[in-house]
Amino acid sequence: MIKVEQVYKTYINKHRNFLFFSETRQTEAVCGVDLYVNPGEIVGLLGMNGAGKTTLIKMMSTLLSPTSGTITIDGMDVVKDALKVKSIVNMIAGGERMLYFRLTGRQNLEYFGNLYGLRGSLLKDRINYLLSKVGLEKAADTPVERYSKGMKQRLQIARGLINDPKYLFLDEPTLGLDVSVAKRLREFVQELVHREGKGIVLTSHYLEEIEELCDRVYIANNGRIIMHDTPKNLVFNITHGNVLNIVVPEINDKLNNNLRTLIELHNANIEISSNEEGILISIKSKKDITTEVVQTIYNSNVNLISLYIEKPKLEDAILQLENGVA
Amino acid sequence: MFLTIQATFRRNYLVMRHSLPYTSIIGSLLSGFYMILFSYLIYKIMFNGKLDDSFIKYTGSSDYITFAVLGSTVYILSISVLLIVSRSLISELRQGTLETIFLSPASRQGYFLGCMLQGLMLVGIEFIGILVMGFFFGLDITNINPISASITLVLIIFSFYSQALVLGAIMVWFRDTYITQNTLITLMGLISGVSFPIEYLPDWLQYLSKIMPLTFGLVAFRETIMLGGELVSSFESISYLIMLTTCYFLIGKYLLIKVEKNILEKITE
Amino acid sequence: MKNLMTIFMAEFKKSHFLYFHTNMIYFSLLVWPIILFFSAYYSFKPFDTKSENVLSEYVSNQEIGSFLLIGYLGYIFYFSLMQSAFQMAPERARGTLELIFLSPVSRLAVIYGRAMANLLEGVWLFFVFTVLGLFFFGDIQPHNWWGIPLSLFLLIISAVVWGGFLNAIFLFSRDAGFFFLIIQEPLLLFSGVRIPIPVLPIWGKFISYLFPLSYVLLIYREIVMRGASLFEVSTMIYSLLVVIIVFILLTSWIIRKAEKNSKINGSMALY
Ligand SMILES: Nc1ncnc2c1ncn2[C@@H]1O[C@H](COP(=O)(O)OP(=O)(O)OP(=O)(O)O)[C@@H](O)[C@H]1O
Ligand SMILES: [Mg+2]
Repeated sequence: MIKVEQVYKTYINKHRNFLFFSETRQTEAVCGVDLYVNPGEIVGLLGMNGAGKTTLIKMMSTLLSPTSGTITIDGMDVVKDALKVKSIVNMIAGGERMLYFRLTGRQNLEYFGNLYGLRGSLLKDRINYLLSKVGLEKAADTPVERYSKGMKQRLQIARGLINDPKYLFLDEPTLGLDVSVAKRLREFVQELVHREGKGIVLTSHYLEEIEELCDRVYIANNGRIIMHDTPKNLVFNITHGNVLNIVVPEINDKLNNNLRTLIELHNANIEISSNEEGILISIKSKKDITTEVVQTIYNSNVNLISLYIEKPKLEDAILQLENGVA
Repeated sequence: MFLTIQATFRRNYLVMRHSLPYTSIIGSLLSGFYMILFSYLIYKIMFNGKLDDSFIKYTGSSDYITFAVLGSTVYILSISVLLIVSRSLISELRQGTLETIFLSPASRQGYFLGCMLQGLMLVGIEFIGILVMGFFFGLDITNINPISASITLVLIIFSFYSQALVLGAIMVWFRDTYITQNTLITLMGLISGVSFPIEYLPDWLQYLSKIMPLTFGLVAFRETIMLGGELVSSFESISYLIMLTTCYFLIGKYLLIKVEKNILEKITE
Repeated sequence: MKNLMTIFMAEFKKSHFLYFHTNMIYFSLLVWPIILFFSAYYSFKPFDTKSENVLSEYVSNQEIGSFLLIGYLGYIFYFSLMQSAFQMAPERARGTLELIFLSPVSRLAVIYGRAMANLLEGVWLFFVFTVLGLFFFGDIQPHNWWGIPLSLFLLIISAVVWGGFLNAIFLFSRDAGFFFLIIQEPLLLFSGVRIPIPVLPIWGKFISYLFPLSYVLLIYREIVMRGASLFEVSTMIYSLLVVIIVFILLTSWIIRKAEKNSKINGSMALY
C-alpha cells in the first residue's frame, strides 16, 4: 500500500538576476497531503494546472523528496529505502519526451530493462510480451522518431511496465492522444489493475477518463486535497447533473405543457431563449432525461433542429469547488 | 535600412542587458589568454627566446610575442564577429522568428549590421581585454601607426562581416552550427597565420589561406602596428582584403536570397 | 560485476545508435584534432630548433612531430570523453536522465559505462589518426617497446575515470561551453600535450598534476622516449593511481550531490 502522510513540498529555486546576485524563490507545491493507494485499485488525482499533482507523483516515485511528512510504499520509506522502492514502482508521463528518438522501440526497452538489471532471454521475453500488449510488434524495429504520438505513448507504457512494477504512476498519460487510442489505453490500464493487481495513481484533466477508470478520486487545489470520494459521488455532489440543450423552430402549447409536467416530475430546471437556429431550450437535471424529453417533443408534433448534452466539466466542477473553498 | 539597424540594435541590446552573456566574454578572454600563454611558454621557456632566421625573413620583425598577441587578438575578434552575425539567423530559426523577419520588408543588411554593431559592444571589451593581457606578456606597440591601424581594423571587421554572411547562409541551409563553425574556426587557426607566418605551410595550404580575409587582415594589421607602416606600405594586403570582402559580400547576399526562398517555401508547404 | 557489464553494454549500444552514425563524430574526433595537431606542429616552426633547448632532452629536433603526435593521441582520448559528456544535456532535456534516476541502477555504473562505451566507440578513429601520423612522422625509435602497451593501458583507464568525472559534472551544469573552456583548454595547455611538463613554471606544474593525462604522458615519454626503467617511473605510476582514486571519489560525491539536489529542487542543474 502507498501511504502519504502529512506531506509538504516547498521548492526553493535560485534565480540569477544580474552577474552573481541571486534571489531565492519558494513555491509551496504540496501542503499537508494525506492519501493512500491499495494494490488493485486505480486512484485518480485531479486538479487545475499547478495544483501539485506532478509534484506529488514525483515524490511517490522517489524522484523528489518531501520537505516534510512521510511516504511509504509497502512499508518502505521513499527517501530512506529509495533503491528498494524504485524497483517496485515506475512512472509514465504523457507527452513525447522521455524516449530516445534515434533508437528503435525495442532498443529503448532493452536499455531501460538493463537499468533494472534485466537481461538475456528474460528481458527479451518481457519485451516481446509488452510490445504485443501495446500493439507495437510491427513497429518494434523502427526508430522512435518515426512513431506517431500514439505509438510513442504506447511505447512509454511498455517502458513503464518493463520492471513489472507493483505500483504505477501515470501523469496525464492520454495527453494529446486521439479518442480511440486513449480508449484502448484506458482498457489496458483497467486490465493491469484487475488482472495483475497493480496499484495505479492517475492524473488527468479529462473527467470522463477519471470517471471511467478510477475507484477513488482525490481533488487537489493549491497543493491541498480538498475532496476525496468515488467519482460518482463527486460528480453528483459538485455539479448539478447534465444540461440538455434542444433547438426547436417553435414552441406550441402542447409542448409547453408537456415539458412543464416533465420538469416538475424530475425536479429539473428549464430555461428558454432564442438563438440564430431557433428556440433554445436548456434543461438542467440530475438524472438523464433525454429520452423523455425527445419523446415529448415528438409527441407534440414539433420538429427537432438539434440536440446536445453538456456534461459537467471537471474544470467547472473544480472552479465551483474553489469558489466554495474561498 | 537605418531604421532596421536601429531596431535590431535596440532589441539585441535589451536582450543583452537582460542577460549579460558574461560566460561568452570570459570565454573569449580565456581563449585569448590560453593562446598567448602557449606562445609565451614555447618561445620564452622551451626555446629560450631563440627565433629561427626564417621568422625574421618572413615577418620583417624579431618580436615574436607581439606577432603572437596580435594574431590571437584578431583571431578571437574574427571568431566573435563571425559567430555573432552568422548565428543570429540560426537562432531566429530555432526560436521560430526567422519567418517573420523574412516575411517583413525590413532590410536584410540592416538586420545583420544591427546585430554586428550591437555585438561589437561586447567584442570591443574582449578585444581590449586581450590586448591588455598581451602587455603583461610583452606586447610592444611603440611603433604603431594609429591612423592606419584604426582604418585597417575597421576594414578587417567588415571583412569578417561579409564572411559571416556566407557562413550564416550555409548554417541555415544545412541547419547546423556546430560542425560548420568549428571547422571553419579551427581551419582559420591553422592556415591564416595566427601564431606563425603562413610561409611555413605547404604550398597548397598557402593557396587555401588566400580565401581567408583573416590572412590578409593579419598581415596588414601587424604591419601597421609592428612596423608602423602607412596604409600604402601594406597596399597589397589591404587591396586583397577589400577584394575578398566584396566577393564574400556578394556571395553572401546571393546565398541569403536563396536560403530565404528555401525557407519561405518550406513554410508554405 | 555482471550488472556492471550489462550497464556497460547498454550504454555502449545506446551511444552507438544515438551519436555514432552522425557526421559530428568524424569532425570532432578526426578532422578537428588533425587540424589542431598541425597548428601546434607549425607553431614550433618560428623557433630555433637547431641549437640546444629543453625539448632536446626528450626528442631530437626531427622528432618534434612524433612528440606532438603522442601528446595529441592522448589528448583525443580525453577529448572524446568531453564530447560524450556533452550528451548529458540532451539526456536532461529529453527527460531520459530522469528515467535513469527513477531506476535503481548504480549511478556510478551508468557514468563509467557511458565513458567506457564512448571511448571504445571512438577508438578506431584514434587509430586512423595515429596511423596517419606515423605515416608522416614515422621516425619514432622507442627505447622500450613494452612501454607502449603499458602507457596505452594507463591511458585508457585514466581516460575512463576522467570521462566519468566529466559526465558527473555535466549532470550539474547547463553551460557546456564554459566547462570546455575551463577544463579542456587548460588540459591541452598544461598536461604535456604540446609543452613538456618539466618546462612549465611551478604554477603550471601545479595545474598539470591535476590532470591524469599529464602522468600518462610523462610515463610514456620517460619509458619510451628516454628509456627509463619501470622502477624509475614507479613514483609517477603511484601518483597516477592516487589521482585516479581521488577522481573516482570526487565523481561519486558529485553524483550523490546532484541527485540529492535534484530531489530537492526538481532539477539536476545547479545553474
Ligand atoms: N522544479 C520546480 N521548481 C520550482 N517550482 C516548481 C517546480 N516544479 C513545479 N513547481 C511549482 O509547483 C507547483 C505545482 O506544480 P506541479 O507540476 O506539481 O502541478 P501539476 O498539478 O502537475 O500541474 P499540471 O496540471 O499543469 O501538470 C506549481 O506552482 C509549479 O510552478
Ligand atoms: Mg503535471
